[in-house]
Amino acid sequence: MVDRRAFMKSGAMALFAAGLGGVPSFIARAADSRKILAPYKKNKVLVCIFQRGAMDGLMAVSPYTDPQLKILRPTLYMSPAESEGKLIDLDGRFGLHPSLQAFSPFFTEGRMAIVHGVGSPNNTRSHFDAQDYMESGTPFSKSTSSGWLNRAVGLLGHDAATTPFRAVSITSALPRSMYGDNESLAINNLQEFAIQMRGNPLASNLASKSFEQLYDQTTSDILNKTGKESFDAMKMLDVNNLKKYQPAPGVVYPNTAIGGSLKQIATLIKMDVGMEVAFAESGGWDTHFNQGSANGALARNLKDFSDSIAVFWKDLEAYQDDVTIMTMTEFGRTAHQNGTGGTDHGRASCLFVLGNDVKGGKVYNNIKTLNKEDLEDGRDLPVSTDFRSVFSAVANGHLHINDNKQLFPQWDGNSLSLMKTV
Amino acid sequence: MNFRRMYKTFTVGASLTVLLAFVQGNHSSSDPRINMPYKKMGLTQEQAAAHLLGRFTFGATPGQIKEVVDMGLEKWLQQQLDSKLSDDEVTRRLPDSSYDALGMSNEAIVNTYLNAGQVIRIAAKNNLINKDSVKNLDKPEYRAQLKAIMDAQGFKPQQDLQRQLVNQKIIRSAYGQNQLQEVLTDFWFNHFNVSLSKGQCQQFVMPYERDAIRKNVLGNFETLLLATAKHPAMLEYLDNASSVSNDNDIARKQEAGAIARLEKQKLDALAKDSTGASAQQIQKTMDARKSQGLNENYAREVMELHTMGVDGGYTQTDVTTVAKALTGWGIMPLYKDAPGMKLIEAAGPALLAKKGYVVDGDFLFRADKHNENAKLILGQLFPVNGGYNEGVQVLQMLANHPSTAKFICTKLAARFVCDTPSAELVGKMTDTYLKTKGNIRAVLITMVNQRQFWDEKALREKIKSPFEFAISAIRATNADVQQPFQIYNWVTRMGQRFYYYQAPTGFPDRASYWINTGSLLNRMNFGLAFATEKIPGVKINLAALNDNHEPESAEAALVIYSKILLPERNLDENIRRLTALVKDSNIGQKLKTAANKLTPASVTNPDNMNMQPVSSSDEMMAAQDAPLTRRQRKANEKAALSRKNLPVTTLYVAGNTSTLAQVTGIIIGSPEFQRK
Repeated sequence: MVDRRAFMKSGAMALFAAGLGGVPSFIARAADSRKILAPYKKNKVLVCIFQRGAMDGLMAVSPYTDPQLKILRPTLYMSPAESEGKLIDLDGRFGLHPSLQAFSPFFTEGRMAIVHGVGSPNNTRSHFDAQDYMESGTPFSKSTSSGWLNRAVGLLGHDAATTPFRAVSITSALPRSMYGDNESLAINNLQEFAIQMRGNPLASNLASKSFEQLYDQTTSDILNKTGKESFDAMKMLDVNNLKKYQPAPGVVYPNTAIGGSLKQIATLIKMDVGMEVAFAESGGWDTHFNQGSANGALARNLKDFSDSIAVFWKDLEAYQDDVTIMTMTEFGRTAHQNGTGGTDHGRASCLFVLGNDVKGGKVYNNIKTLNKEDLEDGRDLPVSTDFRSVFSAVANGHLHINDNKQLFPQWDGNSLSLMKTV
Repeated sequence: MNFRRMYKTFTVGASLTVLLAFVQGNHSSSDPRINMPYKKMGLTQEQAAAHLLGRFTFGATPGQIKEVVDMGLEKWLQQQLDSKLSDDEVTRRLPDSSYDALGMSNEAIVNTYLNAGQVIRIAAKNNLINKDSVKNLDKPEYRAQLKAIMDAQGFKPQQDLQRQLVNQKIIRSAYGQNQLQEVLTDFWFNHFNVSLSKGQCQQFVMPYERDAIRKNVLGNFETLLLATAKHPAMLEYLDNASSVSNDNDIARKQEAGAIARLEKQKLDALAKDSTGASAQQIQKTMDARKSQGLNENYAREVMELHTMGVDGGYTQTDVTTVAKALTGWGIMPLYKDAPGMKLIEAAGPALLAKKGYVVDGDFLFRADKHNENAKLILGQLFPVNGGYNEGVQVLQMLANHPSTAKFICTKLAARFVCDTPSAELVGKMTDTYLKTKGNIRAVLITMVNQRQFWDEKALREKIKSPFEFAISAIRATNADVQQPFQIYNWVTRMGQRFYYYQAPTGFPDRASYWINTGSLLNRMNFGLAFATEKIPGVKINLAALNDNHEPESAEAALVIYSKILLPERNLDENIRRLTALVKDSNIGQKLKTAANKLTPASVTNPDNMNMQPVSSSDEMMAAQDAPLTRRQRKANEKAALSRKNLPVTTLYVAGNTSTLAQVTGIIIGSPEFQRK
């Protein structure tokens, strides 16, 4: 296992020794404050996965005993019965979609909690708006410039100016959740993190040095700031070490977008680069058309999603006590199926929290029935749990952040009691 | 197809009206006068031309600023607004031999460019293939068999259609004369986004850009909106083609008939099979049929993203009602021998017209699937039995709504002026929009006639998107791009996989979306790879840019090429910093010594850092660009190292990497080159 000191030696220090690279500023800062002697061992890591497009919570975790469900969804309905899709029964009321099989042991072992009927108090059914609100954490204010995960980083309460990898998103662009003043990094592919000229390492170094000078002096704020962060991160994340990196024995990630993203997050966790918040996305949840039931488009996506998370968890074996994974999606889908074998934009959905700090084995919910009078606008599963009460609970319990006022301004609700440590 | 030809006459009236509107919309006499206040804002003609080229083209080509100044800025802009310049270079680079799909109809495309599944289905239907062998798709002999069938039937792989689509965008943007038209095609496509990531619409994306977007980018917004609404690509992408109503007489009769037939089948099945398994299946079909209906996806996005904007003042009820107004909007059956076509042919145009059906090209309005009730939308009443025209009127109302004017003008200003345009500028543009009923040319002229367009705060304020960045590099260096798909792979790596953006929002058009640590490093790497010709198929004659004078030193190259690639910019600080670096003889000496020590093995070592193909369609393309063999590479390196009389500062280490190319790469990757 490559630890932080070792790869600093072989990465940044090698550059320094060649006389071509400067000392990265974060290392200089670290050396100053002697932080370098205290590696990031004790850090907890929160991994958030955003399911973009609005996952159909009623199909992922189905309240199959509600007689309305079969009426509202004649061709989508499933139950634990062999002939009705073979849901995995969780508690006699909710059933896990068979494609989420990989979650079943986590639930049984009490490591995974499911929260159902969760969503935003703002009833917008626009993907863009609902994502925006969920990620900013202020469902009635578009003008909030920061994202909730960025604020979380600022509230961690210990000085971590020593790493550019404190908050990392495995996306080509920084997600709304990570907008803000606290340094955050978006990387699509860790392997690309270097100035490269094929067959010409020394010229690469000179080019790198030139670019660093140019980005240091530009009058464009965004280019200047991002340039600096890029060079710091590049020096720390020596791609040569990265290439040698292998997942734990027997661990094979699905060759999919979310599988690849989680693999990279696992790499960063195991490289001990000081990451505390990680973010990944999963797409394809906007199932307006022929979503299928036990098989089909949604089933395939659920399988990829849960398999990737389960493999990630296995890969992290030695780190499991320090890692919590939370999923989220902008809203749920209509209780009734639409005219094209799919479901339209609705309100509440469900989410999954996995970790050894989690009081799992339970479907947390305040869901009544699917009778028309209990549905929002007569059509959608209403939001009976504010997403902020879940996000804050995880931030409190896992990251030990206790200032909910700063984390979610304009909110004075209570956090859900789903973590062990609080 | 005869029938289709017959329909052309049937719809000729409608087409003429559209054509007339288009011609009138494009008539320059109705445009406001171009009166750009750049002098008042303290800019020289050259600076103003540079700014105009930065925003209305994909980047200035060498010498273009002088050309525009000589011609007159107003005349140049007028030419761009007219977009009638001949494009021989584009035609030459897109020969029919390798770009046959570009002129094809939707119908020709769906019957030519098939995915493997479709080929198998057709082959199985015609007994050309053994169905059981379908499972062994990976076997080479099976693939060969598939290919043989495709060749025999004249089928082509869909990846090839996508290659043509991607390549033509790069070619038109890099080499086209009508640059503004192409910039706006990029803008409006992104506004009315459709995506290759959605299987049902992907075959139509190319004709969508060609027929619905590019033709209308400088016309009226209403025309553009209607063209997108009725195109198969949009009808599939946002599901409107499958949104139907069962609330009308014909539909009810059809429904009753179908259900009666299914009931009978169910009874028969029950009689034959006591377990009831197949009866259950029929019941499911019946349930599905009963629940066939409304899909409000397009209705929502057309208001939120295409016209009024999310705060435009509509309600959930408006969304649902607009969806009802647009029920029955669908696509003509396009597949060869499609059963629907036989029904339509049997009915004949007269009967269909009488029943309220409308055929316009590949668009089909199915009167039997339209919700015929009266509707209240945004406070306006639409009476019963509105038919096809009801949907048209709703879209016209949306196109000319004040919220739409403001939303569209804000978006145009954000693209052409700055990420957060002032309310005053947007206000002026909105006034013109409303006065001219959405004349895009007039709105653009109003924009450049405002001081805000020329304000110091707007100059160099916009950051190029990855696509704009790559194309501007091609234009600034007069590069010859023989394999455009290689450029696409790089643009993807830099964060813009164009034609694949999944969400209907399109790419967010602001610097904070494009610029982040990972993408920024890739921009720098692109600059280096591009200028040193490490991107396959890219040829650059750098000496020609400087009248074939080779700079004497790295410092001279830096000064001369900075001015060539970034004209009309103040680069003193850039040059000062870099000069200090290249002048450091110690580093130069080190590099030279190191270069001599390099073994071929260590030179070729970083090969596994090569770009990864982004998808299977890219893999196909990447395969064409087989890397040099080890032996070839060794020979190249040896030749390079053996060159004599290299100046001390030369970074000539391996390959065909000259100092000049590297300096150029650094300039292209520099922050100044990211700004437009």
